[in-house]
Amino acid sequence: MNRLILKYGRPLTAVILAVFAWVIYRRIASGDGITPLAIAAVIVWVIGAPAFIYLWPRLTVNGYKRAIVKHGFGDGPIPVNTLYAVPGTSSPSASRGSLMATGADDLLYVGGWLDLSKGPQVLHVPDLAGRYFSVQFTDPSTSTNFAYVGKRTTGTKAGDYVLSGPGWKGTVPNGMTQISSPTDSALVIGRVFVESDSDLPIAYGLAKQIQLAPLKQ
Amino acid sequence: MVNALAWFSQSGVVQGLILGAVLAFLTAILLMNAVARTITTTVNGWSAIRKCGQPGNGVLVRAACAKALPVVNVFEEAAYWTTTVDGSGQTLSGGHGYVLHFPAGKLPPNDAFWSLIPTDIVGYMVNNPTNRYSVGDRSPLAQNADGSVDIYLQHQAPGRHEQNWLPTPSGKFKLTFRVYLPGAAILDGTYQLPSIVKAP
Repeated sequence: MNRLILKYGRPLTAVILAVFAWVIYRRIASGDGITPLAIAAVIVWVIGAPAFIYLWPRLTVNGYKRAIVKHGFGDGPIPVNTLYAVPGTSSPSASRGSLMATGADDLLYVGGWLDLSKGPQVLHVPDLAGRYFSVQFTDPSTSTNFAYVGKRTTGTKAGDYVLSGPGWKGTVPNGMTQISSPTDSALVIGRVFVESDSDLPIAYGLAKQIQLAPLKQ
Repeated sequence: MVNALAWFSQSGVVQGLILGAVLAFLTAILLMNAVARTITTTVNGWSAIRKCGQPGNGVLVRAACAKALPVVNVFEEAAYWTTTVDGSGQTLSGGHGYVLHFPAGKLPPNDAFWSLIPTDIVGYMVNNPTNRYSVGDRSPLAQNADGSVDIYLQHQAPGRHEQNWLPTPSGKFKLTFRVYLPGAAILDGTYQLPSIVKAP
């Protein structure tokens, strides 16, 4: 459905505008005034356009949230504060949901939705021994990435990272690193490099070990 | 009360609200696309937006990025370039063959990997009989005598250089070039991808 809207966006827009033109033409032709219509339209237009722009990042990230917590990627919905590793790389046979037909075919993706309203979560990453990986944390209100764990930012050794929401005042256990989230929710996208087909089971074994757990106090 | 309801239903206010909302939506889309174009840098036909995903982006840039490249990596994590045209500005199509020529030593610098993936215009991979959907740093690409590398982008298998062949969809298509952990020359803009050249 999304694919069709994206592909035929312009003809669809033209049809919708033509229907509007016809409605307005009918009103004028039948002698009804169009002043109330025009005033209502202009008010909604002037308020609505900036509102759509402001909300667009949130709408986009919420689309990913729905894909994760309502549909999942082949094994049913993924509960909040759970990371799911997609077992295969992206391919054209998008049986795992169309999102998976748009990615890179040399990465395994890990996805999840973070909810910190009931306390911090601990992200555990295994030792990836130099292999490329990243875990991206995206703020749903702005669709910007406020933190990364991965080869570029933290290295590839095993580690535990405390993800805390705004206002959390606990202490971070020894040996763990704190990542403060600007909101109580975040989109989590992990990526683990796959060298080749024969490397896939090894990469998948590592991707599955990238996990969330509640912080024990 | 009944009179007010009757006026409300006949005055056209309802149509006005719907019309205004749809126009607001279309205006927002057009504006976001326009902003996305202004923050896009295009060199040799390849377009990239380097600002996306960064905390601190303003409202317009955030919206434009969410529209153009939803939940994308920051550029220093992964550089993405896309193109739907060849180096001379003509639309890429499976009806033609193309060559991407990297001079010796000019494959993209990186600390992770790179890959080139053809998709349909929207961004979905398209089936092909070879099951080869990308070429990248792990592909056994043959070098020319001078150390340069040619990648052949065409729908049908080329007569020669089959290991440097990347099958493209039969119709119009889009290319995405990803470099994970891009090297310093990519981040400072001194490294540029070469143009896609239509095969004679």
